[in-house]
Amino acid sequence: MQSVLQVLASGLAIGCVYGLVALSFVLIYKATATVSFMQGELLMLGAFAVLALNAGAGWPLALAVPVGLAGMVALGAGLERSILRRALGQPHLTAVLLTFGIGLVLRGAVATIPAASQSMHRLALPFGEEPLRLGHLAVAPAHAAVILATVAVAVALTLFFRHTRVGLALRACAEDARAAALMGVPVAAMHTLAWALGAGLAAFAGLLLAPITFVHLGMGLVALKAFPAAVLGGLTSLPGALAAGIFLGLAEALAGLVLPEGIKDLVPYLLLMAALFLCPQGLGSAFGRLRG
Amino acid sequence: MTPRGSPGKPGRGRHAALLLAAGAALAAFLGADYALGQLALVATFAIAGLGVVLIVGQAGQISLGQGALLALGAYTQGLLVRHGVPAALSLPLAIAVAAAGGWLASLPAHRLGGLYFAMSTLAFALIVEEVLVRWRTLTGGAAGLGVPALVIGPFTADSAAAQALVSTLALALAWWACQRWVDSRLGRAWRAVRADEDAAAACGIDRVRVKRAAFILGGGLSGLAGALYAHWIGFLSPEQFGLLLSFELLMLAFIGGVRHLAGALWGALVIVAIPQSIAVLRDLLPADLANTAGLELLLFGVVLVAVVRWRPQGLAGS
Repeated sequence: MQSVLQVLASGLAIGCVYGLVALSFVLIYKATATVSFMQGELLMLGAFAVLALNAGAGWPLALAVPVGLAGMVALGAGLERSILRRALGQPHLTAVLLTFGIGLVLRGAVATIPAASQSMHRLALPFGEEPLRLGHLAVAPAHAAVILATVAVAVALTLFFRHTRVGLALRACAEDARAAALMGVPVAAMHTLAWALGAGLAAFAGLLLAPITFVHLGMGLVALKAFPAAVLGGLTSLPGALAAGIFLGLAEALAGLVLPEGIKDLVPYLLLMAALFLCPQGLGSAFGRLRG
Repeated sequence: MTPRGSPGKPGRGRHAALLLAAGAALAAFLGADYALGQLALVATFAIAGLGVVLIVGQAGQISLGQGALLALGAYTQGLLVRHGVPAALSLPLAIAVAAAGGWLASLPAHRLGGLYFAMSTLAFALIVEEVLVRWRTLTGGAAGLGVPALVIGPFTADSAAAQALVSTLALALAWWACQRWVDSRLGRAWRAVRADEDAAAACGIDRVRVKRAAFILGGGLSGLAGALYAHWIGFLSPEQFGLLLSFELLMLAFIGGVRHLAGALWGALVIVAIPQSIAVLRDLLPADLANTAGLELLLFGVVLVAVVRWRPQGLAGS
């Protein structure tokens, strides 16, 4: 029992990372109807940006983290303004290829920096190493930080979408862009905002992942687990994406316990195939029926 | 982007002449053996590209798992040949396995269509890649697996010329088959589904069946390409068939022009040429920049973005 709880705690933490990346993916998809295939690269770049400012330029973390994240938000906005805007109204595949291409450029650019590509890096976030004791359960501080930060992001996003004019405008734009435009919502600006937020969220997930997996070129592969999470969550539901990400993290952790080695990484994809197969009307409607 | 009639017909003579000229120039410039080896690769990639043209260009569906289908064909062929199965039997089996893979990858999304095809084929590709790594007893795992030369009856394709001949013949055969499918009832149904799925369904087209056919035939073509590729490279490992290969094949079709069969050929030329040109560029660049693998990714990404952004109809597109 003890070990199961232990495994579930780390599964929950990893699931939160999946959920955050899925959240960024769904946010972009809802607002702009484009599929972003570069969330993983944005995640990796966010971790590297903070690392470069902290370890490379010697800034204190309290300064490096906000500046690094702000830089990623600006990058997301800039990419939307310059390139991604062209994918609007095009078939899905155009956006898929375009974002994958930009992702390759980002990864290639990081890889050409010898210091980045040759080794794993520690990003020393100030959690300490001492595990937190909750009764008999010991939780690594990095895991606890991920879980707490995810809760904070979820609360902040809820407040943003429910109680601010900008959040409301973004929701309106996601619901029906044409109607929103007629009501005076600046739709183009909302698209830019969605990409900026999406890039910022992915980078934030990278920052949280950094103490768990170290910072390295391949850390963006985590984002491949965000696709099953997004689909299981119904593709257009923000809470659904987060919940599905956490569910996948827990399912993977359990699979690692009871199934033979190597099956663990397949679980999200097998679940995705099964879910699509069993709910041919689309998962959104399946959840809708559950809610009545 | 107007719907066109039968693709691949206009200007075929011009394409052929240009290709011949390019081939002759290459051969003169780099030596015949090297040029023939490259030709074998171009023709093989073009076969896989035809599969993408059927699924994406004709039927208008998304597939992110073509690399995995290529892997299925390559590994089936490699394993069977290693166990002494003659090519006349193993090639059809490799094609069948990959066609079954195409069917399986698209199966969960048949009723949903659209973006869900992207998700299910992506999941399938990642599952295949993982299985190739993990099932060491069968595939040799990450260490890989050697494949002997292709033997068809008394004929062994172990020289560049023989490999080029076999791939070109296979390409011609695949091309002929694709041309027949595209010009048939099925091809018209594909284009109808691409243009407007609901209208096509209202006209009595069974959309699920039509999409399924595209994925099965596209998978079979990938299987044929994979089987030949296994022999030309002579060595298989899972990382050759990662997500990047799936995107390379998509990019191949997009660069060439996804609406035309000829697009597969042009795209294959460009895809094979990119690493070559990087090798040439490397010698010109300062040494500390030139040794990084990042450069290849960077260039690949730039070409992909540039094509999608400025020439979405591709080189063969009018």
